Amino acid sequence: MQLSRRLLLAAGGAALSFPALSWAQAGGAKKLVLVVLRGGLDGLAALAPIGDPDYTRVRGRLAQADALALNGMFALHPRLPKFNALYQAGELLPVHACATPYRERSHFDAQNVLESGAAQPFGRDSGWLNAALGTLSTSAGRERGLALSAQAPLVLRGPNAVATWSPSALPAPASDTIARVMDLYERSDPALATALHGAIAANSLVDGADGAGARGPRAVSALARVAATFLRQTDGPTAAVVEMSGWDTHANQGLEQGPLARNLGALDDGLDTLKTELGPAWRDTLVVIITEFGRTAAPNGAGGTDHGTAAAAFLAGGVVAGGRVLSDWPGLSAGALLERRDLRPTTDLRAVLKGALADHLRVSSAALGRDVFPDSAALAPIQGLLRA
Amino acid sequence: MTDMRTAAIAANRFGFGARPGDLRAIAGDPRGWIKAQFAPQASMPAPIAALPPGEDDLLAFGRWIAARRLRRGNAEGIERQAERQGVSDEELRMLSTEEDFIATFRSRAVTAIGARIEAAITSSAPARERAVHFWSNHFTVSAAKPAAIALPPSFEREAIRPHVAGNFTDMLAASTQHPGMLIYLDNWLSVGPNSVAVQRRARRAHGQGQLTGINENLAREILELHTLGVGGGYGQADVQSLAAILTGWTYDRPRLIDYVREARGERSGASLFEFDAPAHEPGAHMLLGRVYLEGGVAQGERALADLAQHPSTARFIATKLTRHYIADDPPPTAVARVAAAYARSDGDLRATMDAVVDCDEAWADPFAKFKRPEEYAISALRAANIQTLPVGAGAAAIGAMGQRVYAAPGPDGWSDRAESWLSADLVYKRIEFAQTYGERTARADIDARQIGEDALGPLFSADTRQAVQRAESPAQALTLLFASPEFQRR
Repeated sequence: MQLSRRLLLAAGGAALSFPALSWAQAGGAKKLVLVVLRGGLDGLAALAPIGDPDYTRVRGRLAQADALALNGMFALHPRLPKFNALYQAGELLPVHACATPYRERSHFDAQNVLESGAAQPFGRDSGWLNAALGTLSTSAGRERGLALSAQAPLVLRGPNAVATWSPSALPAPASDTIARVMDLYERSDPALATALHGAIAANSLVDGADGAGARGPRAVSALARVAATFLRQTDGPTAAVVEMSGWDTHANQGLEQGPLARNLGALDDGLDTLKTELGPAWRDTLVVIITEFGRTAAPNGAGGTDHGTAAAAFLAGGVVAGGRVLSDWPGLSAGALLERRDLRPTTDLRAVLKGALADHLRVSSAALGRDVFPDSAALAPIQGLLRA
Repeated sequence: MTDMRTAAIAANRFGFGARPGDLRAIAGDPRGWIKAQFAPQASMPAPIAALPPGEDDLLAFGRWIAARRLRRGNAEGIERQAERQGVSDEELRMLSTEEDFIATFRSRAVTAIGARIEAAITSSAPARERAVHFWSNHFTVSAAKPAAIALPPSFEREAIRPHVAGNFTDMLAASTQHPGMLIYLDNWLSVGPNSVAVQRRARRAHGQGQLTGINENLAREILELHTLGVGGGYGQADVQSLAAILTGWTYDRPRLIDYVREARGERSGASLFEFDAPAHEPGAHMLLGRVYLEGGVAQGERALADLAQHPSTARFIATKLTRHYIADDPPPTAVARVAAAYARSDGDLRATMDAVVDCDEAWADPFAKFKRPEEYAISALRAANIQTLPVGAGAAAIGAMGQRVYAAPGPDGWSDRAESWLSADLVYKRIEFAQTYGERTARADIDARQIGEDALGPLFSADTRQAVQRAESPAQALTLLFASPEFQRR
């Protein structure tokens, strides 16, 4: 078949694929895993301010009695034992009462702000992580970002090419069929051949990572395993994004049991899987766990919580200066709450992310204030999040 | 004289691929075959005609929201409304037993997506159907936004489909006045700060939580994505003016009593677009150097009509059309010719489409474009002469290949460039699709060589013919055909 000259040039110029199997063992390259919790994590459940004098009164039936105390003030949800172990090892840094600049309560708009990095919804149509990766030097044809989903989420979308990998709903083709298809592509269609070579390389890495176990809340562990497999390769991607939904707990969210506890347990397992699978690369890894907003301080009439404002976020990994909670705690008294209902934000999430990107990936402060988080030059990155 | 090669280009590039027998019918006059499909009168495809109207979708969505509030116990507002509208406690209980959102909307969405796919695989006017998909993507209303989840199918049917062979001005007006767009891009939340409604609320001084300002979302996207395009010569002041002009453009929001009537099986007779005069920002506004005097809804209609006729719009539409039909980076000569046809005909989309068809560049390279997943899947199903699909089957496969039907990630719609779809993961999933549908289609009496011949004619390459010939099974033969380069491009 004939292919246009332009097409051939495009196929030769930019190989949109994973590198072939020449990857050796990892050594020292910084890695970032971003976990986006969609739906609005109840930060007061995940990281309970048990030392706040208003905690028990405000939380009512959702007040924790058996949380894992980190210090006199904060305690992790009982279904986060692995988080607790990381904290004790100095590898977990919880952040509380943080929020993006968004102050309304729409998931759609809030996730847009969370991922774009702009100060208002639909400020731009690309994401802050894509922009941050764009500042790194890259060997030709290597994507720095990997989305563990069929389509890259907004945070990874943008001018810099990123890869995707997702478990399949359809049966895998027989290897003989793949070989015959590849033969066709190599004869006449270099762009398809390059893509298929990339897919074969990727699939050989994640051998056995089919759809099994990759649906529902347990999916996060399966995806964490795949993410680790890619990240620990030399010249593998720098950053991976894993999404987890199901945090919009309007009704009967429960305490030690229930949908929120199940989700937190799956997240706990997912983080542990990531650490195990990364092996030595965990030392050079930063995990960032964020959500679009928190939830109301008090339970609603249905045993759940409604859309709120400030939430908790977590930094984890071998590079983190953890074992402490980062929070300018605003309190839970009626006067302290935002609009008498939500935890008041005292930390701009962008300042946390800017500090992490500056220290971990050496993104310049000029780029952080302009390209990564537009118009945020006046917002100083938080220092000292990572070990010096 | 018949020209099978040109027929194959016509069927694939302008339609959704050929069914068995199509190429011979097209070959007598491939260009005429396309153009004839844009006759002004065209009947609605049966699967689309069978869908419920937008009013029903709005009612069902609103009813579910009300029911959810009732179930969750934060129903104070609802109970006040019920009292005002004379809805009894018993009727409220009837609402609160409404089945779950997923049960309600997944089945509605699956039916509507199935209808779109079935209309495309069975269509005898596939070029017209392709145009529906093109314009529906140009004016994206996406179920990725929860508030708009129920509306993309009725938006496509009511705002897009009637105008694909009509005038762009009418399509722009219909799009901007449809609840799908008004909700998706938030215009129903936009009120003039100096409007009667806001002034009245300020006097009552308990306006907390009420709308008090302009939302620019729809106005900005009309200028950037629907008409002039980025760099089309507008500034932030124009966005603000158009947003002010469009305040009060909302939809007839169903009331609680309408949900009750709907639950009883009585249609409420709601209409869709509503101009809410008290929410409209009064006064004259300057847009692109032209002053639009106060005139209620007519002020906005005049502004949209002028935007539709703007030279930047002609150029932007021509660029998008030629990118869709001819090449990712369309030849400037083709863009200029199509833009001229658009301008000469005052935005007549039939004349504009004729100009695309008459571009020689459209017939030069049969493989210049990489099919998007939905086109790709539909063309395979047409080649295999599949008429109906199991419920939900096609949609799941297309979603797995990266293009969730009616759920584009943003208001700019799905990309029309190959690099967006040529990633390793997505190409691999297309091969999985090829195998799945190869296996489903394969029967002893089906000859993949014949299917390839019928679908591709002279574009069926010697390499692929040989691979199909040597396949170890009929299923593998079809898999190789569907996965072949010439089947994935158009």
